[in-house]
Amino acid sequence: MEKLEERRVEVSRTFEAPLELLWKAWTEPEHFMKWYGPKGFTAPTCEIDLREGGRHLWSMLSPDGKQMYSTGTYKEVVPMERLVYTDSYSDAEGNIISSAEMGMPTTMDVTVTFEHADGKTTVTVSHVGYGASAEHAGMGWEQAFEKLASVLAEGN
Amino acid sequence: MTTDTLSLTFSALGDPTRRQILARLANGELSVTQLAEPFKMTMPAVSKHLKVLERAGLIVRGRKAQWRPAKLQAAPLREAADWMEQYRQNWEESFDKLDAYLKTMQNEKNKSAD
Repeated sequence: MEKLEERRVEVSRTFEAPLELLWKAWTEPEHFMKWYGPKGFTAPTCEIDLREGGRHLWSMLSPDGKQMYSTGTYKEVVPMERLVYTDSYSDAEGNIISSAEMGMPTTMDVTVTFEHADGKTTVTVSHVGYGASAEHAGMGWEQAFEKLASVLAEGN
Repeated sequence: MTTDTLSLTFSALGDPTRRQILARLANGELSVTQLAEPFKMTMPAVSKHLKVLERAGLIVRGRKAQWRPAKLQAAPLREAADWMEQYRQNWEESFDKLDAYLKTMQNEKNKSAD
C-alpha cells in the first residue's frame, strides 16, 4: 500500500564506471541513444537542451516497429549530481499527446541522481508520483464522478 | 486491465482520504457510519468517496438497504502495482543496456589512449 500511496517508482544501479561517463551517457544525445529504452527497443532520435528550462525530445522504437516520442523540460541540472525533468508522450514535433490517446499517464516527473564512490557510480532513477498525469487525467474523471454522484443523489 | 480502469484506479488513489478509507477496509468491512467517524466527515461526503472507490472496482458495497458495508477488492490494486512493476522492469532493462554501453565507452577510451 505504501508504494501505491507514494505512486513512486525508484530504481537504482551501481555501475563500474566513473561519474563523468555516466553523466555523459545521460546528457549527450550521441551516447543517450546507445542505451536508452528497455530490451529490444532502440532510441533512434534524441535532442537535449541541457539547462534548466531546456527541452528534450527523444523517441523509442519498439521491436515491432512502433516509434514513440516523448518530450519535456529540465527542471534541475546539477552537473555530475542530479537531473530532474518532466517526460510526456508527444508527437514527432514535441506536442504532448494526452493520456486518453496514448492510454497511459501523460507526464512523469523524473529525478536521476548520481553518486560516486571507489571508482563506481550509483545511478538512481525516481518517478516521483504519476501525480501530475494521473491527477490531470483523473481530473476529468473526478468531475465526471462528481456529476455522477450528484445525479445519483438526486435519483435517491 | 483496460487503461480506463487503470486511470480510475490511479485517480481513486489520488485522494488521501480515500487512501485512508482503503487502508481501514484492509482490516475488514465497515459501514459508512464507521468510516465517517474518524474523519469527522458527513455521511454524504464519505458516500462520495465510496462511490469513487466502487467505480474503480476497489471496493464492493453490500446489498442490504439499511446497512451497506464497504469491502476492499484487492485485484485492481494488484494490477496497478503490476503496472508500476512494468516501469521498474523497463528501467532495469535500460540499465542493463547502459551497463553494456559503458563498457564500450571505456574500451573506446582505452583504445584512443594507446
